[in-house]
Amino acid sequence: MNATKLIARKEAGELLLNLRGLIWLMAVAVALSAFGMLLISDTELSLLDNAQVVYDMAGIVTALGALLALIVGIDAVAGERERGSLVPLLLTPASRGAILGGKLGGVAIAWAVMYALSLPYLWAVGSTGQNMLDGMLVAALLGTPVVLGFGFFGMGLGSVAGSARAALLVGLVTLVVSVSPLLLGPSLRQSAIGRMFDAVNPFSAAVNAYDAVIIDSQSIVAQSFHMLVAAIWLVLTLVFARVSFRKIAR
Amino acid sequence: MLLKIEDLRLSLGGNRILHDVHLELRGGQIYGLIGPNGAGKSTTIAAALGLLVPDGGSINILGQTSGADDPDVRRRLGVLPEKNGFYDWMTAEAYLMFFASLYSQPLTQSQVASRLTKVGLEPRAGQSIGTFSRGMRQRLGLARALIGDPALLLLDEPTNGLDPRGRREIHDLLLDLAKSGVGILLCTHLLDDVERLCQRIGIIVNGKTVAEGDLGELIRERGHLSRFHLRLAGELPTDVDNNGISSIVAREGEWLIVEVDAGTRPDEIWRELLFSGWPIVEIRRNGGGLEDLYFSLTERVAA
Repeated sequence: MNATKLIARKEAGELLLNLRGLIWLMAVAVALSAFGMLLISDTELSLLDNAQVVYDMAGIVTALGALLALIVGIDAVAGERERGSLVPLLLTPASRGAILGGKLGGVAIAWAVMYALSLPYLWAVGSTGQNMLDGMLVAALLGTPVVLGFGFFGMGLGSVAGSARAALLVGLVTLVVSVSPLLLGPSLRQSAIGRMFDAVNPFSAAVNAYDAVIIDSQSIVAQSFHMLVAAIWLVLTLVFARVSFRKIAR
Repeated sequence: MLLKIEDLRLSLGGNRILHDVHLELRGGQIYGLIGPNGAGKSTTIAAALGLLVPDGGSINILGQTSGADDPDVRRRLGVLPEKNGFYDWMTAEAYLMFFASLYSQPLTQSQVASRLTKVGLEPRAGQSIGTFSRGMRQRLGLARALIGDPALLLLDEPTNGLDPRGRREIHDLLLDLAKSGVGILLCTHLLDDVERLCQRIGIIVNGKTVAEGDLGELIRERGHLSRFHLRLAGELPTDVDNNGISSIVAREGEWLIVEVDAGTRPDEIWRELLFSGWPIVEIRRNGGGLEDLYFSLTERVAA
């Protein structure tokens, strides 16, 4: 097995076999359960259109996925550095690229687990409507680059920041700003600044694509602009992670 | 030459941390890098490993001037860093197997067991690292450093947290490794370890090498012979043979104060003296040697 796969498997172990990782997954499951329960049982929310419910759920899955990926990304570098386990890894014959690749793989595995965990919830809230499968598909297609981008961003921050705490603070602020379209009212999003922010914000790109596909029943193929924004975000964060990680290695 | 550092200079955040650090380590040698806390010992190791970028000077490690950036150098290098972290959820066995695979030499279970036996951890092979004591973690770190059968070992405080038996076992392991040709850089503040293990030392104070060379020669040159108190049960033989003793400093009642050449092993001297009729009933170490050398150099620079 090559070094990248070995390290990715180790990173998966950090998430699935380590108490710290399991606590995060449990917290995600609890948040999804609470949100799903609310959508089904709350008197007013249960009156929402089924497509709207799937859209809301897809948005929350992406936001939670981005949060999880950010934490996993920061922990993979800054957390390991603080625990003293990064240096022994850097001093193995494995190349820096292979180590980085393995750690990026760890972020991807975290998102895969999170996405798999969310499927029953999407089914629970959307199984009675028509757009559930489209919702699952668009959440995978658009959510993946957005979530992985946050994971790579976390790794870059973890490499350049003085501590995991500082990296987490910057990462969380960035995440909150990015997910603000979920929090802001429609009128604010329609303002000039709101529209400009929407155009470059990868999270907005994902949410707007969810809106178009799940609620407006548009084709996924027609979401190419949103996909491009998400892809650019992924590439930029990957470059940031690569450049920053190279610095930590020296 | 396995490791050669010349005129190493390094600053961190605008503060000068190292200036004029130098050392030379050959195969089969154990080199003690000593100095007060914050003197720059660990920084020197980090620079040698390429983890910190020096401002100047040269580092030649395993024949490469590019430092540990070269994967071939890292393959022949074993390191026990100052901050030694592990994956607590793994077992000791799984941990070593993981690292062995990164060295492209996957180990069988019996090979892992033999590595763990070397450091006294074999009974704990299947135990999760999270349950390990500090000393056990130190042993596991050493086992990890030995995975690639290194030509050069850089060990930062390897006996930290070990009980006396564990310390002795690690000493014996390091001596065996040196006998087999491995060069070992031992960074420590335990002078006993250095006296027992090292042929060559470097003393760093305030980021500068203030003494470097053969341990015995440095002590002899600077007049810091090892001093002992010998309690005698009676008079010395008339034809006193001072075999191995450099000088008898004083006689205080039943105690004789003697100085011993740093290049000789005291236990052999006592054996010789007993055979030649010295009525020795008790021996106490009383300063001198490396300890005096260390204090004189560190105090002089600090002043």
